[in-house]
Amino acid sequence: MATNKGDINDGGAESFLTLGPDNSVTVRYHPDFGPHSDLILLEVPDDSVLNDLLRGRVTIRGQFDEDAVLCTPSSTYAMKFVGTSNSVFLIPPRKPNLSDPQPNPLVSVLKLAPGNVELVLTAPRLDKLRFLLMQRLYKIDEEDEEDCSSEGLYTWHDLICSIQASDEELREGLKFLSAVEINGFWRIVHPKSVNMILTMVLTNSVLHDWSLDALVEEEVLSVLESDGFNTTIVKHCLETFGTKNENDNSKLWGLDKKRIAVHFAKQVLGSNGGKMRLEIFIEKWMRNVQKGTPFDLNMLEGEVLYETIGAETWIKAFSVADLPLTPDARFSVLFKERAKWAWKDLEPYVRDLRVPGISSEGLLIKYTRRVQPNADAEPIFSAR
Amino acid sequence: MEIKVKCNCGVENCSEWAILELQGVVESQPSIANQIRGLEIGRLCCSSSSSQVNYTFTVGYHELSGTKVSLKKPLLVLKKNKQEEGSVSNNEVDLEVIGIIRHKILFKNRPKAIISRPQVKDKKASD
Repeated sequence: MATNKGDINDGGAESFLTLGPDNSVTVRYHPDFGPHSDLILLEVPDDSVLNDLLRGRVTIRGQFDEDAVLCTPSSTYAMKFVGTSNSVFLIPPRKPNLSDPQPNPLVSVLKLAPGNVELVLTAPRLDKLRFLLMQRLYKIDEEDEEDCSSEGLYTWHDLICSIQASDEELREGLKFLSAVEINGFWRIVHPKSVNMILTMVLTNSVLHDWSLDALVEEEVLSVLESDGFNTTIVKHCLETFGTKNENDNSKLWGLDKKRIAVHFAKQVLGSNGGKMRLEIFIEKWMRNVQKGTPFDLNMLEGEVLYETIGAETWIKAFSVADLPLTPDARFSVLFKERAKWAWKDLEPYVRDLRVPGISSEGLLIKYTRRVQPNADAEPIFSAR
Repeated sequence: MEIKVKCNCGVENCSEWAILELQGVVESQPSIANQIRGLEIGRLCCSSSSSQVNYTFTVGYHELSGTKVSLKKPLLVLKKNKQEEGSVSNNEVDLEVIGIIRHKILFKNRPKAIISRPQVKDKKASD
């Protein structure tokens, strides 16, 4: 028998795998063979996740009554245990034992694995985030109130432990909700407070002759601070309704006319479900919005629905941002609102849905029934 | 709760583990029951023919034939550790990557029953 690496069996995984032709080795149960239920096999879907795992950038998140998810810095994966009917014998590497000059030549099997955990890329579970942050909306003058407890308030760390999403997805979720961090807690600002601050900014703009396309951050903050408004909240208002333009050294903000117009439209209509006759709405809306702002009903796409009641057209608040993020819950709410949807009305309410592995057409096929009487007619969608 | 998945080995130094996989179940004699630790399961042999490397695993009277397979998706071996008393985190458990499996030797062909024992075969060859 030729002497090669295959002869020098040290009982470990490496010698098992490098067993060469014309060589053989005995495979036995390890002296510590057992269930070893503390050992788990995890299938890694790609190199990027493997890299994150080997660099210690991965965490498992969830409450005890939820299915656990595995989070890399940017993605969320559902964990699914898949059993096998095969006998999968697990062979560990040999532990170097310097005191033993004669390594044991037998290959030892430590455990019979019942299966492995598979990772399935999944959408982050962010509906809970809105639910948590709605518990205590931030109101101006909140600090003056007696109740200083932190109940119903969540820090970034609290959110990580409660929300099944990666850090990056959680940050995006907070941005989507226009949440702001105040005194270490992430808060959604009460709509009345948002309106108060925006109105103050707009009123002061007229008073001080500020340009809405180039508001000077320092100036806005100091004027509103002297009126008693928290600078963090005022800055958040600028972020919500504007875009920063960092020119030279001073920080300039340009307010987005569309965002402001949408805001006032919602003020006029009230919260979801509020409705009125279209002419009345337009009249009130025009009164609220800044002079010179072109208002256009198209700006309200995804924020309002129109109903024909008799000979009149009514407009109703219905904002996509308030709807569930998961497809089944979203379609359920949509079809409860209206049994049948024309595509042009439905599209703004489904265009943000994202499920890994399914296209938007796939989502429609899965959750709706599509009826199109002939090629010229518009397709109509209803519940499955 | 948040459980960190630790890895002390890093990208380069992850210990390599291996798998021997076969279809079916290895059973021990009833008299042995659960006292199987240290006992032999079978004999693994390697042979090569033209371009292929083949493996034979002989368990009792069965001979299985198989090949080495590279896993398209590697498996990581994770260990669940119970937290020590008085540790900083609230969790009772943490996870650690202790190994990686990139290859396995897989036996998926129907086992051949060896009718005569190997010694008898040799005797015959020398006739």
